[in-house]
Amino acid sequence: MRSILIRFLLVFPLIILLSCEEIPIVIADPVIPDSEKVVLIEELTGASCPNCPKGSAAIENILTKFPGRVAVVGIHGDFLSNPTAKSKYDFRNPKAKSLENWFQPWFGKPSASINREKDENDMIMIDIPELWQAAVEKELLKPHQMNILLDTDFNAATRKLDLEIAAIPLADLDGSYNISIFLTESDIIDAQSNGGVIIDAYNHKHVLRDMMTKFDGDNFGSDLKKDAIIKKNYFYTLPVDPNGLWNPEKMEVVVVISRATPTDVSVVQAAYIDIEN
Amino acid sequence: MRNIIFLYFIILSTTIVGQEKGVFSGAFETNANVFIRDSSINTPNTPQYDRQFFGGEAWLNVNYAIQGFKIGARFDMFNNSNLRIPTDSYSGIGIGRWFVQKNIDKLEISVGYLYDQIGSGLVFRAFETRPLFIDNALYGARVKYNLSENWNIMGFAGKQKNAFDTYTGNIKGIRTEGFLSLGSDESPLTLAPGFGFVNRTISDENMAGVVDALRTYLDEDRFVPKHNTYLSTLYNTLTYKGFNLYTEIALKSKDIFYNPFAVKAEIVGSTIGKLEQKSGSVIYGSLSYAKGNLGVTTEVKRTQNFNFRIDPNQRLLRGLVNYLTPLNRQNTYRLTARYSPAAQDISEMAYALDVRYKFSKALSLGVNYSDITTLEGDRLFQELFTELIYKYKRKWQLTTGIQFLTYNQELYEMKSEVPLVKTITPYVDFQYRFTTTKALRAEFQYMQTKQDYGSWLFGLAEFSIAPKWSFEASGMYNIKPKKANSKGDIEKTLYPTLGVVFFNDAQRYSLRYVKQVEGVICSGGICRLEPAFSGFRFAMNTTF
Repeated sequence: MRSILIRFLLVFPLIILLSCEEIPIVIADPVIPDSEKVVLIEELTGASCPNCPKGSAAIENILTKFPGRVAVVGIHGDFLSNPTAKSKYDFRNPKAKSLENWFQPWFGKPSASINREKDENDMIMIDIPELWQAAVEKELLKPHQMNILLDTDFNAATRKLDLEIAAIPLADLDGSYNISIFLTESDIIDAQSNGGVIIDAYNHKHVLRDMMTKFDGDNFGSDLKKDAIIKKNYFYTLPVDPNGLWNPEKMEVVVVISRATPTDVSVVQAAYIDIEN
Repeated sequence: MRNIIFLYFIILSTTIVGQEKGVFSGAFETNANVFIRDSSINTPNTPQYDRQFFGGEAWLNVNYAIQGFKIGARFDMFNNSNLRIPTDSYSGIGIGRWFVQKNIDKLEISVGYLYDQIGSGLVFRAFETRPLFIDNALYGARVKYNLSENWNIMGFAGKQKNAFDTYTGNIKGIRTEGFLSLGSDESPLTLAPGFGFVNRTISDENMAGVVDALRTYLDEDRFVPKHNTYLSTLYNTLTYKGFNLYTEIALKSKDIFYNPFAVKAEIVGSTIGKLEQKSGSVIYGSLSYAKGNLGVTTEVKRTQNFNFRIDPNQRLLRGLVNYLTPLNRQNTYRLTARYSPAAQDISEMAYALDVRYKFSKALSLGVNYSDITTLEGDRLFQELFTELIYKYKRKWQLTTGIQFLTYNQELYEMKSEVPLVKTITPYVDFQYRFTTTKALRAEFQYMQTKQDYGSWLFGLAEFSIAPKWSFEASGMYNIKPKKANSKGDIEKTLYPTLGVVFFNDAQRYSLRYVKQVEGVICSGGICRLEPAFSGFRFAMNTTF
């Protein structure tokens, strides 16, 4: 009798559990309001990183879904960023390495920061590319607090770039702020690890080539007042590269205004413009 | 809150102490590393090399038993530690574990952070592996009841530990185990059957992450995710005369997991790796025979889609609820252990055979063979290992043999377009006792390979003065290098280690200068890629 009872107690809950049907989950996109808010994606990537094409594909999908609302910087820092055996170029540079270190901790590549916002574990970097879109949507749902207007003047003969920036706070913004200016280059055809193989002619996009500010930004001001326009000018001379890199036709300037406190470096607004505007 | 609960039980225990004498026991372990950058071996740009220079860990276990009660707690400290993420620094201090256990007649009740497993761990294993920062304790409650002398049933529920926090998903399960003695006194046949069932429910928070990921998938890759996954396992150990047969079959209902080898469709082209929702299975068998001077063990394991985590959004070694037994030999010599395969949870077919024969008291021979492929037949790992041991009285002992190994570096280390690593490694281990207290041990290994870093030579000398001291010096030399260092040079590099070990009763202190090449570190059959290391390592442990 006891053994029958025990068998019943053992089997009955299993039958109940296994026969339960869950209510199906509906997979639906959130409604993103129209605004001029632009979100920044800083992706840690590398030519020798076998999983990084997955990150690049995720970013292209986000750019397709939210045209004009997202600025991208691809950081080829140190880890898995060395050229592959088939590479022509080495995308690593001191600013990229410094940024990669600055973003620690992160678990691996590809990883991306979305507006440098921290998650519940105090981590800025998200190492699952499939979650980047949701993080971008979350940022796009937040209030739009600043407009950034950009204008470039590039002299092809001297290769000198003149950048004019005008930032207009849309609300009073307390605290200190930094400005970061990235120079990125796209459509660079070179080798890229992808799983177990190397893609010989991979299209590298948004590759960080250098910065016009310090890697963690220059001081932009503090306690910004609503509608009080702040103007800045920056200059940069593009180097001449015998291999055809630093092609101004394929280059962008990405400007970012971010908070500058020891615990909060989140981005207020990003903007981008072609060098040959 | 955790500290208050622990304090309560400490007060409770001291109250009980007044009535009966209890037993205190404990253990302490600490590691301290000093990081010294060395560009010649590509030490990574981690915070420890850049600015922290020091990193370490400490654990103190204290247990107390009285009147059927067992209570315990563990203090954990991580101070700029590189254990959690080998390329990063982690700090945290707190109570890493506490538990209370009470036996009441046939009933055993436990709450707190608990370690346990079902069968060999295929469907559930709550365990700790410190070198890999794995502490998958179950934070919850467990009840065990002895139905009879030979049968018991256990049930548990809780959450999985995550450093000083817990994951949000829930796990619960039951296990029943027994023992049957059949046959006659002359030819006894025994069975030790068991059955286990586990259910994991993904938290709403984690499911939101799954849904966020699925929203980025094209229709052909999307699925309707389910919160619940059910696993069951049936296992048995049969013993008859010299034979011992262990069999286990584990099944998993449809579960969401990340398949790093699956092709994901993109708007343009495709990428590798995506979430899938599939059922899985593992079949494992081990047959051993021992009689006289002969011992034979053969194992087989088939694994399909058996990645099982508390949260499908976790990767690498994080959030694993189960444990897949590795079938390859767990090597200990530096070069023979250099390429170790991690058990594959998506697709693996593994066989192993181990034969040992003792010719005499002085001479014995062992041969071990393991073969691991994917279910599709792609080669992952193959090893033939021989071991000949000769003992001359109590004066000296010679251990020698050779290892032939094939290792799929592309899969195990996720490196693109690298060939299979093929190595041939002869080794010699010689121990000589000068007196009853003084002994010398020397190791020599040579790994011949044309892949990865190229060929290696390893030598070690260890002089011990029992019972207090041991001194060691070793060197791993890249005699035919294939890889360039950070300066772009292909150089022959020496990776030396100098160390001293001091024993004082149950205390063990060691101090080493270490220069260590990048490699796969395995602990308990679980492996991960570790960067190169250069610096000093101090370790101390004791029990009391």
